Amino acid sequence: MSGKAKKQVKKRVTFSDDNTIVRQSHRKKNIGHEHPPVYVRKSLLTIPFHLIVLLYLYIYHSDYSTELLLLGLIPSQVFYLVLQFNKCTVYGNKIIKINYPLVFISLGGALLLSVPTLIIIILFGAPFLEHIKESWLLASHCCFLAYPAMYSVFNCDFKVGMWKRYYVMIVLGGWLSCVVIPLDWDRPWQAWPIPVVIGSYLGAFVGYTLGSYI
Amino acid sequence: MDERSIKRSILSTSADEKRIYKSRIQKFSKSHKLYVLFFISLAILQFIAIAFFIKGFLLTRNVLENVSTLNDYTSILESNPIFNNPSDIAKFDKTVIVVIDALRFDFVIPVDESNPNYNPNYHNNFKVMYDHFNETSSADSSLLLKFIADPPTTTLQRLKGLTTGSLPTFIDAGSNFDGSVIEEDNLIKQMYLNNKTVYFVGDDTWDSLFHPFLSSKSQPFESLNVWDLDTVDNGVISYFEKELISKKNNQKEEKEWDVLIGHMLGMDHVGHKYGPSHFSMKDKQLQLNEFVTKVIDSLDEDTLLVVMGDHGMDHTGNHGGDSQDELESTLFLFSKKQQMWNLDPDNQETLYNVNKLGKHYRQVNQIDLVPTLSLLTGLPIPFNNLGWPIKEIAKNFDEDRFYTKAILNQLERYTHTIGIEPPTQEKKRLLEELWQQAQNDTTLGHDYQIELLQLYRDLWTNFDYYSIATGICLLTISVILLVSVTNLIPSIVVNQMVSEFVPSIIIMTLISNVCFHGVYYVFHQPLFINNYIWGTLFATSIGIILGICIPIFDRYNLKWLFTRVIQDLLSDYWSRIAATFLIIHSLLFTSNSFTIWEDRIVGFLIITFGMLTLYEFVFLPNRQSSNNSGLLTATISENEGTTSGVNASTANSNSLPITRFARLLGGYHSITLIICTRLASLITVCREEQGEYCVPTFTTKNNYSLWCLSLCFLIIFMIPACIKGYYNLSSSYQAAAPIWIDVFLKGVLFVNFLYWAITGFENTIPEWQYDLKIFKLTIARIVTGFSLIASNVGWIMGPLCIKLNVHNTDVKSHQATILGYTNIYGSQFFLLIINSLMSIILFMKPLAQLSLFLMCNQTLSILEIIDLLKLRENIIGPVVLALVSYQQFFTTGHQATIPSIQWDVGFILSDSITFPLTHLSLALNTFGPQIIIALSVALLTLWKQPPDVLKPQTLLGRIVSNCGTLIIYNTILCLSSFIWVTYFRRHLMVWKIFCPRFLFACASLIVTQIVITFGTIAFASERLIRNINDIFWK
Repeated sequence: MSGKAKKQVKKRVTFSDDNTIVRQSHRKKNIGHEHPPVYVRKSLLTIPFHLIVLLYLYIYHSDYSTELLLLGLIPSQVFYLVLQFNKCTVYGNKIIKINYPLVFISLGGALLLSVPTLIIIILFGAPFLEHIKESWLLASHCCFLAYPAMYSVFNCDFKVGMWKRYYVMIVLGGWLSCVVIPLDWDRPWQAWPIPVVIGSYLGAFVGYTLGSYI
Repeated sequence: MDERSIKRSILSTSADEKRIYKSRIQKFSKSHKLYVLFFISLAILQFIAIAFFIKGFLLTRNVLENVSTLNDYTSILESNPIFNNPSDIAKFDKTVIVVIDALRFDFVIPVDESNPNYNPNYHNNFKVMYDHFNETSSADSSLLLKFIADPPTTTLQRLKGLTTGSLPTFIDAGSNFDGSVIEEDNLIKQMYLNNKTVYFVGDDTWDSLFHPFLSSKSQPFESLNVWDLDTVDNGVISYFEKELISKKNNQKEEKEWDVLIGHMLGMDHVGHKYGPSHFSMKDKQLQLNEFVTKVIDSLDEDTLLVVMGDHGMDHTGNHGGDSQDELESTLFLFSKKQQMWNLDPDNQETLYNVNKLGKHYRQVNQIDLVPTLSLLTGLPIPFNNLGWPIKEIAKNFDEDRFYTKAILNQLERYTHTIGIEPPTQEKKRLLEELWQQAQNDTTLGHDYQIELLQLYRDLWTNFDYYSIATGICLLTISVILLVSVTNLIPSIVVNQMVSEFVPSIIIMTLISNVCFHGVYYVFHQPLFINNYIWGTLFATSIGIILGICIPIFDRYNLKWLFTRVIQDLLSDYWSRIAATFLIIHSLLFTSNSFTIWEDRIVGFLIITFGMLTLYEFVFLPNRQSSNNSGLLTATISENEGTTSGVNASTANSNSLPITRFARLLGGYHSITLIICTRLASLITVCREEQGEYCVPTFTTKNNYSLWCLSLCFLIIFMIPACIKGYYNLSSSYQAAAPIWIDVFLKGVLFVNFLYWAITGFENTIPEWQYDLKIFKLTIARIVTGFSLIASNVGWIMGPLCIKLNVHNTDVKSHQATILGYTNIYGSQFFLLIINSLMSIILFMKPLAQLSLFLMCNQTLSILEIIDLLKLRENIIGPVVLALVSYQQFFTTGHQATIPSIQWDVGFILSDSITFPLTHLSLALNTFGPQIIIALSVALLTLWKQPPDVLKPQTLLGRIVSNCGTLIIYNTILCLSSFIWVTYFRRHLMVWKIFCPRFLFACASLIVTQIVITFGTIAFASERLIRNINDIFWK
């Protein structure tokens, strides 16, 4: 993913130091951006409504059972990938049919990826050994939220950098949701890892909805 | 091959070049002095701002330790012989006091159901007191009054008020902190001194306040757990059952107590947990009703019963502020004797009017209870009392006159001793007039007390908003000036402007002083400027502001400065990240929960930075490189650098992409930063409010445990090895570096380990026999002397970390490589950091030493990351360093609370409290991380900075710019804490959470300012730059 970025280094302009600075915009359009090899179509189909439904059930009907939510998330993400996300992903000039072995390989990949994610979560300040189960649940939620993007990474070659934004949005959602943890409201949903789970769902929702626009 | 030979070989150049060099260095020295003066004046401006704010916000009161005695009554009795001797004053032998926390007045009076505010959950349940008061039969006598508390309505402050009769402030100067025993004269102390046995049961605040005066049979209960509604109340009830109610019919069984005090918390806790309009409030009130009925029944004739609340509650059930609902409480006096209270039968309807929730009911001040109780039980009136006895307790005119005389006498003694002058002449005259009147006619005495109380209340309970606003404004202006000078205006221009700043500051300061004093003299100074000292400070600050503004606005206008903030300061990704960090950190003070968890949040932000840089090194996203004002000058001077012999690729390396190896290295440093931060965050001394969510690891047991001491032994080798590793990255581990790192640092760490190992053994081994105090003191002083003085003197000599390498493969060539050339500035400057580390680490407890070890790694990793990402001129560098300093403050076993100051460290250098030594140790212990960071901020510019590239002046300009950013960070935190502590001034937690945090913000700003101005800029940068330019000049 990094090979491409290297070519884009630009020379800087110098400018004088009084108030008649001449500034130039460096934001040239990415060359070849008009016809990128892989992109996601701008379509309502990419909106992951199931995430909102899952969140609704999680908050109002499951007593914040994070395990149940994970059980709901995995199949619905697979359906989302097969029925919605993959149909909007354009490789070169065509939409490739779903690659079923890869669907299952990616599931395994997401499960494996939950271990490094767990380490990152602990590095960010989650309790070290106590609550490790909850932390792992959070990590696997994050990984399965990223599952459609992960399938796409496997499906095209690894050098396509555009899938990063989906991961970034999930992480950003989780990062922002940490705000509510220290508040002293004594609500049941403030228990670890519920706020971060909800935050990363919202982040993923925004990410998948707006991913093709960013 | 040493530096002298290099020097000799290079210095043998033409006289012309020498002259150019000399003039350049002269220019540098001159502008350096001006920079220092400029920073000093900015520091003065900020200190004045802090002083004004503290003066307005931190109300202080002098606590007098005088104690009243019964003999104080003698003189009055001589002229007014209604009693034979002072001991006859008492009307009751025994007293029962029931304090019901948060007993609002409308809870106890009948409320008409048609009243719109009527609520069956808290009205008309607790009726026993009003029923007794209202019934016409004269079998007993009772008195029910509205009881007005003084803000702040928190239990600790109220208890102090209720027993001393004074108006407690946050800092009662003269008392010791942590809410422990009151030193000033109070009711309980008087009871104790007059041989009355005091039994107490209930809220343990009493125990901490009055411990020496209470009987050992007292039973304090934990008061913090707000969710527990019944434990304290049931404890009080069963204690009363045992000591009072069960002995009712058994007159022969002697009651062992003279005073029985119960403090019940249930009502308050119901309020906090559910609010008043909840059915459990009804249950609680009915329970209390039953309890008070029982107590009343079981009294005998010689006993006085006092039932009272310490404050009210608002409609949410909380308290602490100054709304009417929180201030209105209840006082009920009861006795089985008849006709004890002198109730005016004619006015009874109007005085004790319960309509409209008792809006017009007769009210007395809470502090009035103190003289009332003293007189009823025949105790001396506590010395600091400002209250007035309740008039109903005097049965006839003679008694009334005697009470008035006694209280006037006491008030006069108090005002005479404390010596506070009224602020205006008018007020003074009024007071004297009222005093004379009271002397002639005792019925007018109360007017005098009302006026006197108002005077003290203005002094002690009203914030001085003008001073607060002045402080906030001055600090805001100082932030704006700092931002414009150090970040907005290009440093080349600042270089020229400094020579204008200093004279204009001096002139404007003089002018404004003259003007202001002239105006004050002619008109009158505004009230918030008490005397000429504050007047001078105010005038000076205005002078400094004008003096800085004149040269700035000579060249630029506000609009230009503002557009630069948007266009340049925040134009690139990393600056925006830095600004986000700063905003998040300063917004932590908007809520008590965020302030409580600041330690975790700061660590979280540093780790976020680590992750972002890791992402940067791994993916290398295509970003516009930073282009703020610093780089502007950098580009120019780097071009100059190329003319002075350095090849273009080195000088312009800023515009080259990061190599693969550098990315690997950068990733490694990011991971080091993340892991060190996470490990350090394991060390914590939890604050009380963090409760069950935090397990303290910084405990005496852990500190002196074997594993911790052995880790301390390991860091003797680990710290030098780590630093050596970073030095080797630029092959700077040459010449002076091995001496400093391998000899000095290792030696000091070893002695330091000895010291703490002995301390540890003294603490953990009970049969430790040896008295090593002298030995410990000696080694502590040797280490301090060496690291604070000797090693710094050594540093002034200019230890270089370079070496000439002549081992060439090519025999014919006469070239030699200078090892450590690229990091010549950084490696030398870091030796100074090692000096400060050596002096600070001695004052840190073992776990905190481990934390400092991690801090070394964090700092060096950040420096490497900043260097690899070419962010030297970016504001992210100082911001992350500031975050590290705050994180390390917490992980070295501190919290932003007063009890968490490690007082025991104060006795490392001396046996008893001696002026510079104790204070030095405490300062180094508390602000150690801040000091280290304030010094290392210069390294952002100097680390990996080869000589010859930048002119000395440019280098200084960049250091100043980074130092400025660090000061800005601390100032904005301080400013934010000012604003929010003012906003939350009536918050329940203000004295426990916000106020200590604001004091800490002030202190760390002051420390950072002083270290940066005098240490980093004045001392270190000048020495270093001159030293190196003496050798490598062209």
